[in-house]
Amino acid sequence: MKHDLSRVPEIIERYPQQPSSLIMVLQDIQKEFSYLPCEALEQTAAKLGVPLSKVFSVSTFYNAFSLNKKGDTVVRVCIGTACHIRGARQIQEQLETALKIQAGETTKDGKFTLEVVGCVGACAMAPVVLTNDRYHPQCKVNTVKKLVAKR
Amino acid sequence: MVSLTINGKVVRAEEGEYLLAVIRRMGIDVPALCDHAAVEPYGGCRLCMVEITKESWDGWKNYVTACLYPAEQDLIVNTHSEKVIELRTSLLDLFLARNPETPLIQKLAADHGLTKTSFEVVPEPNDCILCGICTRVCDEMGFAAISMVNRGHGREVAPPLNEAPPDCVGCLACAQACPTNYIKFEDIGTTRKIWGREFELLTCEKTGRPTITREFAAFLSKHRDIPEEYFKVNDEAHRDELASTMGRITRWSVQEETK
Repeated sequence: MKHDLSRVPEIIERYPQQPSSLIMVLQDIQKEFSYLPCEALEQTAAKLGVPLSKVFSVSTFYNAFSLNKKGDTVVRVCIGTACHIRGARQIQEQLETALKIQAGETTKDGKFTLEVVGCVGACAMAPVVLTNDRYHPQCKVNTVKKLVAKR
Repeated sequence: MVSLTINGKVVRAEEGEYLLAVIRRMGIDVPALCDHAAVEPYGGCRLCMVEITKESWDGWKNYVTACLYPAEQDLIVNTHSEKVIELRTSLLDLFLARNPETPLIQKLAADHGLTKTSFEVVPEPNDCILCGICTRVCDEMGFAAISMVNRGHGREVAPPLNEAPPDCVGCLACAQACPTNYIKFEDIGTTRKIWGREFELLTCEKTGRPTITREFAAFLSKHRDIPEEYFKVNDEAHRDELASTMGRITRWSVQEETK
């Protein structure tokens, strides 16, 4: 998959050209491309004066960053304590069956990425599923598939 | 200078000097895996944990890594209290689950009465103890070619993007400093292979043996002010030259004296 990386220099220049801008730059790149392209990492390293190895280290440390392209919709199943006891695992299984992928994977058509996450801070709504930034409260095993129905 | 008590003995230390250095100077054996003379203390392996307290602490005790704790006036340190041994043993139990085949870990564990881990052994064990000495030495050398990647149980030492590291010059500092010889390299003739890269080794003009990589020599002459001439011969030839120079000086001074 080819991407238009011409916007990368502009993203890097939004912040002071110093090592401490690294995470902010990576966040913006992640937002723009929904992952961190290798070429973008190389440009970031060179511009901010951070060794490429350190940029890679940071990119692989945080869950917010991904080195693989994510789907258009990122489906996050909360498996925190409250969601877990209210059946988050069954919800996860339903979504895995519906999307024919395992948690952590992206569908072949690039439409969905399925992730499991710790607590999303909405325990009263357990079990919770997020599609991108939208919260879906009190998910049910027999209706959760609707969230990933073809649109 | 400050004075403190270590295992019942009053010792003097420079203010701010780390406890581990003071302990080692007393000849007390405290295990430490991430400690290396070439790099700053790291507090990664946690094995140098010691018990500290003070008269004024009302019996309250704390457990700190000796490598990162500065010597303080009136500090009372116990390097082998029951609790410290217990902590160290638990840590070695974890190390043994990660590095079951590593002789260094096996020996330390055996010293603490462990031959087998009580945890589940990792699926694909290797000899990397994640002490970070290699990556820190590489930073210190000025290359930062390799680093720690991922986190939690996926943490490992790797070159950027898991490809041959562009900033590596094949100096071997990482492999040399690795306490478990996990970092593999190969020198065949004038070719050196490390981290998936291949380097050409310069040849000593006098002995005909390989010296250092072309890239490392170029780096040292550019950034460390060492003349490129210096790398035309190897250490052996340098020593040879030094010996003959010293010989000449001795003979000359003997001549001068007998005049």
